[in-house]
Amino acid sequence: MAEIAFRNVTRRFGAVTAVDDASFTVADNEFFCLFGPPLSGKSTILRLILGLDQPDAGEILIGGRAVNRVGPAARNIAMVFQNLALFPHMTAEGNIRFPLAERRLPEATIRARVAEAAAKLQIGHVLHKHPAQLSGGERQRVAIARALVRDAVAFLMDDPISALDARLREEARVELKRMQREAGRTLIYVTHDQEEAMSVADRLAILDQGRIVQIGTPTELYDRPATPFVARLLGSPAINLVPPGLIAGTPARGALIGIRPEDLRVTAGSGATVTEVEPLGGYTVLTIASGDQSLRAMLRGQPAFAPGEAVAISADPARVHAFAPDGGRLAG
Amino acid sequence: MSAIRLERLVKRFGAFTALEAMDLAIADGEFMALLGPSGCGKSTTMNMIAGMEDPSEGRILFGDRDMRGVPMGRRGVGFVFQNYAIFTHMTVRRNLDYGLRMTGRPAAEVGRRTEAMAELLGLTALLDRPAEGLSVNILQRLAIGRSAVMEPVIFLLDEPLSNVDAAFRAVMRTELKALQRQFRQTTVYVTHDQLEAMTMADRIAVMDHGVLQQVGTPLDVYNAPANTFVARFIGSPGMNLCAGRLTDTDRGLAVDLGTLGLSPPLAPALAAAGRRGPRDVTYGFRPEEVHLGPGGLRLPLILAERIGARTILHLGRGETTLRAVFQGNPDLPAGEIGLVPDPASVRLFDAATGAAIAGA
Repeated sequence: MAEIAFRNVTRRFGAVTAVDDASFTVADNEFFCLFGPPLSGKSTILRLILGLDQPDAGEILIGGRAVNRVGPAARNIAMVFQNLALFPHMTAEGNIRFPLAERRLPEATIRARVAEAAAKLQIGHVLHKHPAQLSGGERQRVAIARALVRDAVAFLMDDPISALDARLREEARVELKRMQREAGRTLIYVTHDQEEAMSVADRLAILDQGRIVQIGTPTELYDRPATPFVARLLGSPAINLVPPGLIAGTPARGALIGIRPEDLRVTAGSGATVTEVEPLGGYTVLTIASGDQSLRAMLRGQPAFAPGEAVAISADPARVHAFAPDGGRLAG
Repeated sequence: MSAIRLERLVKRFGAFTALEAMDLAIADGEFMALLGPSGCGKSTTMNMIAGMEDPSEGRILFGDRDMRGVPMGRRGVGFVFQNYAIFTHMTVRRNLDYGLRMTGRPAAEVGRRTEAMAELLGLTALLDRPAEGLSVNILQRLAIGRSAVMEPVIFLLDEPLSNVDAAFRAVMRTELKALQRQFRQTTVYVTHDQLEAMTMADRIAVMDHGVLQQVGTPLDVYNAPANTFVARFIGSPGMNLCAGRLTDTDRGLAVDLGTLGLSPPLAPALAAAGRRGPRDVTYGFRPEEVHLGPGGLRLPLILAERIGARTILHLGRGETTLRAVFQGNPDLPAGEIGLVPDPASVRLFDAATGAAIAGA
């Protein structure tokens, strides 16, 4: 229902520039993810969009309208916080209807909207329960339902599923993606988990010390990272960054060569030594010493390598990333 | 150095049984993970080993010594909790050497061991900083160091990485493993994250609802899960499971999967085992061990997750949801997806009990 745009937005706190000349446009109905290390400016951007904080320079637009001087309530943006901020003394239904009751909407409207959101999120059967009686996933859905009933123009979410168990997180992110598609709303999402970011987002903005380093689809950023910083941030195990010439098949140009662990070929031979084998079932992660460098390789299945084994390593030239001394990506 | 034995260990809280008759032998110097979802009894087990709670029944032995009545402080265990308890008004050094100073060791030894541990955990540059204001990641690393510097013969860790961020968790997994290699403490590690258990542990004890489900090496529990719970809990995503019925076809024994279609013929050893068991089975296969094409299951695509090196397809029909994992970005046909499990990866479970039907 609304496009959200930043035009050269800067926000300083004393000597710290929390957001540094940031420009981006989130399309209507897009799932847009802000991703970066702690203190890279993600939370400040959310606060600026909500209207809880004002930029020192630049313009924020919602639905094409400059909102720099519009208060938080009039922006009509819904926020789901990391701790979900549910009222413990209210039932799930009480929590969901709260923002509507606060606006003194007619009871029939409130009931209809709560029922619609509950059906969409499949929580009709837990509406009578209190938050303490709900599972982590159910609490999350109640928090999202509460944001949904407001009919906000956009949603912001700050790490909403980080408190769940690992297994539940994998399920919750898929559900979240489906919910956003079905609800058809603009969603701006902050997470600390690179796998989650790539899974849910239509596009990602990578932040480093308040600056937007790269914006693109998960595939674009993963396959063509603009800098070694972006390359290292996405992917687990992290990309190998080595001097040129260390690995067969890599160009002898640039200052730094990047090879993803799944793109490193490991064969019988010499020149490198396996130092660690982590069998994970569906794939196996090897740690390999070559010269004074330590590399990770990710191989399919359960290949029989042992610590101490001598191996040869090489890379597919088409899958190699080369970076210039200034950190920029070289063509190819 | 110390081995740990749990013998018929039971813990009840009123009418609720948190742990049912658990037998487990942890070898001297072994890294054992207790893995399971919330409420499976893993932390209760850990608390009894530590001496924070008394068993309702059964025994805990360290080596040959029965630990009944031995208080926590006398068990010689190091303990790291999910929520680190760091003294924020002290420096990193004072936190790290706290235990050593309390035992009245010579100052030179305290300094040497503290600095070695700081070096191992990358805390050297922070030694004289106050702990206050340090990130959650660093504080948890400090909590681990403070316990490890005492060189306990038994090291107990209860979800030490669940509050640190995802990127740091990967670093800490490597560090914890290196730490354990160096000191060779017997380590018990409680986690709900199968990846942590798979990457660090020598063996994994998988638990659910207070019952030990299976004990084995990471590859044992991945390749030969004892039941459907273990099959689904291990792996990322876990094993696909679908209800079916064994059926003879002209190409051999297969599984009729109802609306999903007919499975490819079972491998000979599994078919032989299948003929000896019940006809109603759960058909299981790993999401990584499939290819796209005709001759397998057919179902619609719900969502494709492209996550860096791999793509996870989520497919579903009715109550059944299945996942398939591919390297890179597979070409997807329009309409329904045909999924062919690799016969070697297929497992059968008794539909009534969930227990594995051994075949491989």
